[in-house]
Amino acid sequence: MLSKRRIDWAVYAAFVVLIMIAPLVMEPFWLNRIAKYLVFGMVGIAVALSWGYAGILNLGQGLFFGAGAYMLAMSLKLASQTSLQQGSDKPVPDFMLWNAEPGAPTELCCINKASFLWLPFQNQWFGVAMGLILPVAIAGLIGTIVFRKRISGVFVSIITLALVLLVRLVVIDAQPVTNGFNGLTDLGWFKVMGLEFDPYIVPTYYLVAVSLSLVLVGARLLVETRAGIILQAVRDDQNRARYLGFDVTSYQTFFFAVSAAITGFAGMLYVIVSEFASPTFMDLTFSITMVVWAAVGGRSSILGACIGAIIINLISATVSETAGFAEAWKAIIGLIFVLVVLYLPRGLAGLAHDLVDRFVTRKSNAPAGVLRVSDPSSQLAE
Amino acid sequence: MAAAALTIDGLSVDFEGFKAVNQVSMVVDEGELRVLLGANGAGKTTLMDLISGKTQVTGGRVFLYDTEITNWEEHKIARAGLGRKFQIPSVFKELTVRRNLEVASCKNPGVFANLRFGFGAAAKRNVDEVLELIGLTEQADQVAAYLSHGQTQWLELGLLITQNPKIILLDEPTAGMTQAETHKTSLIVNNLRGRHTIIVVEHDMAFVREIAERITVLHLGQVLAEGSVEEIENNPRVREAYLGSKGIS
Repeated sequence: MLSKRRIDWAVYAAFVVLIMIAPLVMEPFWLNRIAKYLVFGMVGIAVALSWGYAGILNLGQGLFFGAGAYMLAMSLKLASQTSLQQGSDKPVPDFMLWNAEPGAPTELCCINKASFLWLPFQNQWFGVAMGLILPVAIAGLIGTIVFRKRISGVFVSIITLALVLLVRLVVIDAQPVTNGFNGLTDLGWFKVMGLEFDPYIVPTYYLVAVSLSLVLVGARLLVETRAGIILQAVRDDQNRARYLGFDVTSYQTFFFAVSAAITGFAGMLYVIVSEFASPTFMDLTFSITMVVWAAVGGRSSILGACIGAIIINLISATVSETAGFAEAWKAIIGLIFVLVVLYLPRGLAGLAHDLVDRFVTRKSNAPAGVLRVSDPSSQLAE
Repeated sequence: MAAAALTIDGLSVDFEGFKAVNQVSMVVDEGELRVLLGANGAGKTTLMDLISGKTQVTGGRVFLYDTEITNWEEHKIARAGLGRKFQIPSVFKELTVRRNLEVASCKNPGVFANLRFGFGAAAKRNVDEVLELIGLTEQADQVAAYLSHGQTQWLELGLLITQNPKIILLDEPTAGMTQAETHKTSLIVNNLRGRHTIIVVEHDMAFVREIAERITVLHLGQVLAEGSVEEIENNPRVREAYLGSKGIS
C-alpha cells in the first residue's frame, strides 16, 4: 500500500519535472501549443474531481470554463490598445462603438444599457477575482438546488448540459456587452508588476505550467483529506453516508464548486495563452470533449485525467495536420474513445495501476486496483 | 427502571389514503433489544423509515430520549444518535474495508472541518476493534466490492458499531445469509446488547430466538401484540394473524 502510494507520488513528480523542462527543447510556437494543452489538462483534473471522485457527471463543464474566460477577457479587452483609441480618455471596447446607437456617448458607463457592467473590469484583478468567484457562485447555486433536491446521476448531467447551452445562447444574444458570436478578441496582455505575458514567451508557459502543477498537487491532496474520502463514500452510496450523519449535499456542493473554480481558473489561463474568449467555449461538443479527456486518461485518477487531456490534444493536433487525415482525425479520436471505454474502463491511469500492481506483487488474493466491477453481492440481495 | 431511549407516540403515515403505519405507539428502554415481527406488508420497514427520517411522518411523534426528532433530516437524526442498517446491504463499495470504517468513525460531519489528513489514533484503535468484532481483520485492505454477501452485511454492521449511535435499527440483518453466517450475526448482535439500544426487524425465527428479549408484532400497520418470546408464541391473536396454527417454529 505504502510503496504504491510512493510510486504514485513519484509519477506526479516526474510529470511536474517534465512540464518544467519542456521549454528547454521547444520553440515558442510549440511552447504556446503545449501551454494550451496544459490548460486542458487542468480541466481534466476538474472533471476527474467531479466525475471520478464526486460521481457527478457534469456535461456542462464548459460553462465554468467560459465564465472564467470571459471574466478575464473583459479585463484584458479593456487593456488592449484598440480600446484606448476609441476617442475617450477611458478605454471602451471597439465592438461597443460599432453597435452603438447614433449619438450615444463614447463612455463605458453609458454607451449602451448594460455597458456599465464593464466598469469594474478596468482593474485586471477584478477580472481575475470574478473568474474564480463567478464559476464558484454558479456551481454553488446549481449544487444547492440540485443536490438538495437529491437529483443525481444522469439527471444532473442533463441539467448541466441544458444550462451550458442556455448560457451560451444568452451570451450570444447579449451582443452589445459580449460581442455575441465573435467573442472577445484583440485582447491586451495580462500584466503582473510590469511583466507582460505575451503568449509566446517562456514566462507565460511557466505561468501555466506552475499553475497546473499547483492545482494537480492541490487536487490530489484534497482527495486524500478526510473530506475527500467521505466524498468518495458519498459517491459510492449517498444514502449510507447520509445515515451515518453526513450532510451529503454540502459535500457534493463543495467539491462541485472546487471543480468549477479549477475550470474557471483554466478558462482564464486559456485566455492568456490564446488571446480570445468566445461562445464556442460553451459549445456542447467542447464540454463533451472534456469528459472524453477524463475518460481516456482515467476519471478516478487526478493525474490520469490531466494526462488524458494533454495526450488527446497532442494526438488531434498531429493527426489533424497530417495530410491524409485532415478530415478523418475526428473519427480517429472517436475510435480511441470507443476503444478505451471498451477495453480500459478506468482509462490509461487504470492500465498504469495494473502494471504497477504486477511489479509490486503483494500477497493478496484480491485483484487489487480493480475498481469498477459488477457487484457480486447484489445478485444475492433481495 | 431504565430511561426510555426511543418513544414512538401514535405514529402514522398515509400514502394517499393507504395507512402503511397506523397509530403505532411503542417505548423502547435504554439498552433493550427489541424485535419487530410481522408478515410482509405489516409496516415494519416503513416504521423504520419513519423513525430514521427517510419517510415523512403524517401523524404522531418520535422521541430520541427527550429530543423530538419527528421529520428531521436523515443526517441530523443520525447525528442525534440513531444508526440504521438497510435491508439491502449498503457499504462504500470502492473503498477498502478499513476506509469504510474510518469514514464511519468520523465524529465531525461538516465538510470544512474534515479538510485535514488522517482520522487520528483513537479512530484507528476503534476501527481495529470493530474489525476484530465483525471478523474482517484479514480483509481490512480489500475493496468492499469483493466481500461476500455475508461479509458485506457484517461490514455494514461494523459501520454502525464504529459510528457508535445510542440506538441501532437493523432491518433484516440476516437476509440472504447461510445458517453459519446467521449464527455469527447473532453473536455480533448479542455482543452489542446492553451497550446500545437495538431494534431489529427479522423474519428468521432461529435468529429471533437467539437474540430476542421482547417482541413487538405488527399487523397491517398496527401493533398487534408485545411481549416475551413465550408470550408472543402463546398469543392467540398473533397465531391467527401471522403464524398460522403452528406457532413459532
